[in-house]
Amino acid sequence: MSHYYFDGQGKAFRPMVVLLMSRACNFHHGAAENSLALPSQRRISMIAEMIHTASLVHDDVIDEADTRRGKACVSYLHGQRKAILTGDYILTVSSMALAAIGNKDVVILLSQVIEDLVRGEFMQLGTKEDEDERFAHYLKKTFKKTASLLAHSCRAVAVLSGSSKDVQEVAYQYGKNLGIAFQLVDDMLDFMSTEELMGKPTAADLKLGLATAPVLFAAEKYPELNAMIMRRFSEPGDVELAREAVTKTDSLQQARILAEQYCREAVRQIQQLAPSPEREALVTLTQKVLNRKK
Amino acid sequence: MFSTRGLPSRTALPSFLRLPDVLATNTVRTTTSLPRRSVTDHLLANSRSRFNAHQRTASHFAFRDHFNSNPLLGCKKDSGLIMNRLQRRVVSMWPSGRKSDWQKALSDAEKVVGYPTSFMSLRYLLSDELSNVAMHLRKLVGTKHPILKTARGFVYDGNNSMQTRGLLVLLVSKAAGPGGEWEEEEEEEGEGEDSNGRTMVSGIYRSQRSLAEITEMIHTAYLMHRGVVNLEEVTSADGTVGDMSFGNKMAVLSGDFLLANACTGLAQLRNTKVVEIVSSAIADMMEGSFLLEQDNQGVTFLPDKDWTIKDWTNHSFLCSGSLIAKSCQAAMMLAGHRLDIQKKAYNYGKHMALAHRLHADLLPFSDSSDPNMPFALTSAPMVLHMEHAGRAAVTDKITQVSDKAMKVDYKQLRLEVLKGPAVHAAKELCYDHSQKALAAVTVFQESEAKSALENMTRAVTRF
Repeated sequence: MSHYYFDGQGKAFRPMVVLLMSRACNFHHGAAENSLALPSQRRISMIAEMIHTASLVHDDVIDEADTRRGKACVSYLHGQRKAILTGDYILTVSSMALAAIGNKDVVILLSQVIEDLVRGEFMQLGTKEDEDERFAHYLKKTFKKTASLLAHSCRAVAVLSGSSKDVQEVAYQYGKNLGIAFQLVDDMLDFMSTEELMGKPTAADLKLGLATAPVLFAAEKYPELNAMIMRRFSEPGDVELAREAVTKTDSLQQARILAEQYCREAVRQIQQLAPSPEREALVTLTQKVLNRKK
Repeated sequence: MFSTRGLPSRTALPSFLRLPDVLATNTVRTTTSLPRRSVTDHLLANSRSRFNAHQRTASHFAFRDHFNSNPLLGCKKDSGLIMNRLQRRVVSMWPSGRKSDWQKALSDAEKVVGYPTSFMSLRYLLSDELSNVAMHLRKLVGTKHPILKTARGFVYDGNNSMQTRGLLVLLVSKAAGPGGEWEEEEEEEGEGEDSNGRTMVSGIYRSQRSLAEITEMIHTAYLMHRGVVNLEEVTSADGTVGDMSFGNKMAVLSGDFLLANACTGLAQLRNTKVVEIVSSAIADMMEGSFLLEQDNQGVTFLPDKDWTIKDWTNHSFLCSGSLIAKSCQAAMMLAGHRLDIQKKAYNYGKHMALAHRLHADLLPFSDSSDPNMPFALTSAPMVLHMEHAGRAAVTDKITQVSDKAMKVDYKQLRLEVLKGPAVHAAKELCYDHSQKALAAVTVFQESEAKSALENMTRAVTRF
């Protein structure tokens, strides 16, 4: 069961970012002739994907989803209890792999990710009354649930490359900004894309009662949405009304602009590293994140 | 696993936290059978109970009215509470004289480690996250979601039965005493948290205390996650699918929360070997739970193939022995003890856990008050019975009601097992494991902690 999702069908977005970041850092650190990722850095990229997968398995139980990456999800096939235990198993195997690297700081960095993931999930349970606070709450949740993994694993490979504190911070900021942009786009796609492309059901967030960036923007124009957000779109017709409101306003556009801002910040951060093919790849990646369809 | 409800200090709880009368009878009985404590012990016990009460008042504030008026608690005939009944039974089965062996060993042991054994420190129970869960759990009262059982365990068993694992870790730490040589690299960064980890309180390093706490958190997280129900199998008697699914959410989240805290806690010990070994213990537990199928109320099914006592030992080790054994070993690592001492601590934990497991498995066969009381078909005496009399002897007593449900003639089955050699063999095995555990601690110097360990080990072989 634990091999189920590791079939190469995922986007492998996270490992890619982490590997590119490792090479960019190695290059920056002066290993110009050989900037290949170290075995330990490769391992971080694997661990990042494992932590992500474990969180997916748990999320699917929490959200009662039945498909993921275009196929039935584990909890649907084998029952919820086994799915949860499988998720735990993947997580602990990843933490064993992490410990085997033998770097205490890296262990602390990545265990922070796990804590963030859980706290993010808890934040998702609650909605803030105050409208201004709500957006901050959303961004914070986004950081914890998505960006934290990228940010911390980027910092971890920077640590392993032997880089200075400044470079570590650059890697962290890049991961954080890219991660938030990634999630913003993800939330937009929830309104725009089709089920086949995404490999998971669309408008899912609304059905779960979650107000994402597009809805929050739309609520500025249509204050009646606020009441729906508070009751987590629980009444019949709420989901449809909210979708309509999002398409009528320019809220998707606004969300995109916000995502672009985060990408620009990510690029600004990464430009501080010495120029290398990998650095350029990381810059291009921000554009890819913005324009992705799945 | 270790059911030890009702130390005297617990009776000093505020009234709303006290056990309902149905449950409280056991507590009273034990209290009277325990030896009188000295004045200092009394003070200690008092402050401890105040601490515990505090802890519970605050965090389980949301539970309390519901649990007190919970219709399920009074409803003894409810089949959904089989496990719960089992647990309660386990307590009432100990005739007061014998019960105190284990109880006494335990309360003496608590004194040895100095602090109250409330590892679930305030910061976890008072965190926003868990009080959030507590609030949501009220909605589930009236359903049969297993998470309620686990939560009730916190409120009613006090921190006792939940936390014997941590106690063992602390005792082993203390028995082993201060470690020899620190690793070189540890010395280099000896500021901040590291130097904290090296302070000893009542002969136990702070890092070892964190480890004991982490061990408890991991175990509780495991209990929570094991209690996730398969929605497909939910019957209308359990509660609505919506409720059960909500219960799952809570179980997953709170389990994840504890695991995540355990992870960060482990990382902060700043010893990657410890992280590795404790993680592998979690992996073992997950692996173990895949060996046997269970239904939604945690009743295990008979495995498809023949099970031997070897399979039983393997399964029990994965599910409970591994965590204790590896935590004990990790405690030795933290103090910088030599490998052979680590190995001894590991063996102690392993055999102690197995002996205790056998003890628990044997309890249904030493009690005659309720002949129809259910017991696990995969318990050690059952496995031994099947080895002796053949699998058919057991399957005869089972009528399959449906794919995932069965009816077992427990009365008949118990009588047959009692007639055969299985119970005796299981007792022998229990004795055997406790001897091995005792042999492992001979490596430590004589001390209070060592004799506490020995007493606990001996207590589990008394039937």
